[in-house]
Amino acid sequence: MAGHLLEVNNIDIFHGEAQAVWGVSFHVDRENIIALVGANGAGKSTILNTISSVIHPSGGEILFSGKPIVRRKPEEVVAMGISHVPEGRRLFSRLTVLENLELGAYPSNTRPYIKESLERAFNLFPALKERVSQRAGTLSGGEQQMLAIARALMARPYLLMLDEPSLGLAPILVRLLFEIIEALKKEGVTILLVEQNVHQTLEIADYAYVLQTGHMKMEGRAEELLNNSEFQQAFLGMIG
Amino acid sequence: MSPRFLLKPKLSYSFLGVVLCFFIVYPLVVDAELSYLVYFLYSTFIYVTLAQGWNLAAGYTGQVSLGQHAFIGIGAYMTAITWRTGWTGYLDPLAMIMSGLGAALVAIAIGVPLLAKLRGDYFALGTLGLGEILRVIAINGGSLTEGTAGISLPSSSYVSMHYYYYIALLIVVIAQGALLWITHSRIGLALVAIREDETAAAANGIAILRYKILAFAVGAFFTGLCGSLNAYYVFHINTTGAFSLNWVIVPILMASLGGAGTIWGPAFGAFILAGVYELANIWMPELHPIFSGSFIVLVALFLPDGLMSYLTGRKDRILQKLPVFHWMFQKA
Amino acid sequence: MFGFPSFSIFLQMFLNGILLGCMYGVAAIGLSLIFGCMEIVFIAQGAVMILAAYCVYWIVVLSSIDPLFGFLLILPIFIAFGWAMYMGLFRWVAKAGKNPSLLLAFGLMVLFENLMSVVWSPDVRTVKTWYSTATLSFAEINLSVTRLIVAAVALIATSLVFLFLKKTMMGKAVRAASEDMHAASILGISPVGVSAVTFAVGIALAGVAGTAVCITYPFDPFFGLTFSLKALVAVAFGGLGSVAGALLGGVILGVLESLSSYMIGAGWADAVSYAAFLIVLIFRPEGILGTVSTEKV
Repeated sequence: MAGHLLEVNNIDIFHGEAQAVWGVSFHVDRENIIALVGANGAGKSTILNTISSVIHPSGGEILFSGKPIVRRKPEEVVAMGISHVPEGRRLFSRLTVLENLELGAYPSNTRPYIKESLERAFNLFPALKERVSQRAGTLSGGEQQMLAIARALMARPYLLMLDEPSLGLAPILVRLLFEIIEALKKEGVTILLVEQNVHQTLEIADYAYVLQTGHMKMEGRAEELLNNSEFQQAFLGMIG
Repeated sequence: MSPRFLLKPKLSYSFLGVVLCFFIVYPLVVDAELSYLVYFLYSTFIYVTLAQGWNLAAGYTGQVSLGQHAFIGIGAYMTAITWRTGWTGYLDPLAMIMSGLGAALVAIAIGVPLLAKLRGDYFALGTLGLGEILRVIAINGGSLTEGTAGISLPSSSYVSMHYYYYIALLIVVIAQGALLWITHSRIGLALVAIREDETAAAANGIAILRYKILAFAVGAFFTGLCGSLNAYYVFHINTTGAFSLNWVIVPILMASLGGAGTIWGPAFGAFILAGVYELANIWMPELHPIFSGSFIVLVALFLPDGLMSYLTGRKDRILQKLPVFHWMFQKA
Repeated sequence: MFGFPSFSIFLQMFLNGILLGCMYGVAAIGLSLIFGCMEIVFIAQGAVMILAAYCVYWIVVLSSIDPLFGFLLILPIFIAFGWAMYMGLFRWVAKAGKNPSLLLAFGLMVLFENLMSVVWSPDVRTVKTWYSTATLSFAEINLSVTRLIVAAVALIATSLVFLFLKKTMMGKAVRAASEDMHAASILGISPVGVSAVTFAVGIALAGVAGTAVCITYPFDPFFGLTFSLKALVAVAFGGLGSVAGALLGGVILGVLESLSSYMIGAGWADAVSYAAFLIVLIFRPEGILGTVSTEKV
């Protein structure tokens, strides 16, 4: 088990005075798709935000390639190679598609590669190339999600974290989305996928963790969990 | 001994009682006309009222008004004009109450369109604009307002400092009492709910606009009262004095220093700031505005929530029922 | 009292208004940028303008350099000053909500005004240049050369800021951060860094506007607040979140002032502006070109 790409050890996270996450531990291995599933309010987004260093845990540690990242600034975490596509995408709607992408390569160590990164983005998402000068706010839901992922990829991350990318997308687009995620895995990007859409997520994931109201409930290889009756019973409502 | 001793209710009430007795008795035992402290207290009572007037709308309801000078001006001019035309007399309670009501009516009129907006900045800016418009109207009001020269009132009517002092004391006691009463009623809870989360408050059936206007208008009423009293004191009102932005700025500072959104914070803030200001004026008259400016900067940097939160250790403003022993310093 | 002017006089007032408005616009752009990043109205903008006016005044008095070149000399200082103000002061209150920042801005205003009053005396100053009284005349219209130069400078400054925001990576980061600071920080854009840059630009623009003020008007240490208010009104007209909007708002204000000053009387010009301000706030708070939502959900 040497060298997990990401190790989260026993973190506690508070929102103000209320505890949101209790002693959660998990790890992400290279070139895997790791799923973090759970219902609304389970703490999934909170954990991603903590890995990005936007919020700080009050206990525990997080290691990326063996290096601790807990007290760092968000820009350092990005420079180290973790990109985060937040829930709701949060694009800069007043800026153009191109500008959004360019900003993805903001960290100084990624800027020299900006041309290559743009090419890679357009190869993966040809629809974006046609809309380069359009304001991001005018794109459709599916295109916005693609832009959000493409923007995160501009930083050439080792680890890509996606927070509920399927939210609000039509089923056809969701399928396309998951195909893209698998394609990214083949390109060598490690993916931490947070989703409520459990079934489709487990179909492409290698390993999955199940979170419930801030506690780690279950974990296992994705195929095993899918066939696990206890899992099916407990999370029947979430299978989508 | 830390100021926390003030937190015990019995002690704090006795403390207040002693202070009030002092305020009542002191001008009777000294020569009120010559006493600097009497003048200082008179002036500070007015500032406490202004600070609390602002506090009700801004601190409790979250609607920051930058237009208090409009209400001072309304109060001052209404009083001066009705006195000059003979409808009211010197230190006439009718004039004062009318001035307060006039200010409150204007507050309601301007409040309805402005407070209906969700974005608080627009309210702040709108109130600022209101004051400026009123100032210009007063300048161009012809013989009614006497333009920039202002209205002169018969200073021969002056009887004694005692009148002003005790009227000011009465006003501040009423104002503080009103604040106490409102904040402990359902109205107070509604106001804080609006401040903390307007959408949630609306979802719970609180008539947002009505409460916002209520807070704003009550504050305006007391501000107008002060404008009126001030007109009686200075015997000459003009646009520079009545609509001076100091009437906006100083009460806000005092309330913020003491703690906006608390019951006693603005009162303490007023006394402290007025004291600092006067002391600076005495010790370094040439430099004291610089000192005051630096003081404000330091307060903003180090005491952003005001003194009250520092003293009570409460840096957050959560809507909750507070334990009894925090009664006096509670924020909601 | 209400005099309807002849066409050429109307045109002259109109053009004068545009020129005047450019000056308001420059101050307004600075205010709009700072609002975008810190969400407060930087009430000390006018005081900073007057500070710049004094600096230029002293440069002119002591060395007879043209005021505009004099300003170019101190432009780097103002940029650094803006940056330092954020890093040293505003950055620390950024997390405490809007009131402390407002309070801080106000405290700085009082501090600057009174420092200037003590150090340089409250006497009124004027800066005279070789073109102070020159006018450009054509087709029955007389335009003050000073105003023309001010407008030209304003347009240059606006274009530079526009280019910065549109073409440079940092400029795009500023625009992104003013829209969604959280998303920007997830991308690795440092909120502190971007805010400091925004502030620096805002203060530099105040400096440009201040230079314009000193060659146009006689001024004293307390003259700034009027300009803060005017810049505010201009931003309200043109809309928050838009550089072009701030300039446009300034021009609208200038035209409004100029025309009402002539047609109704100088005393009422301010009332008209503030009344228009209130009307805009009530009926179209996002201004003409505004892109900032009025919903705070």
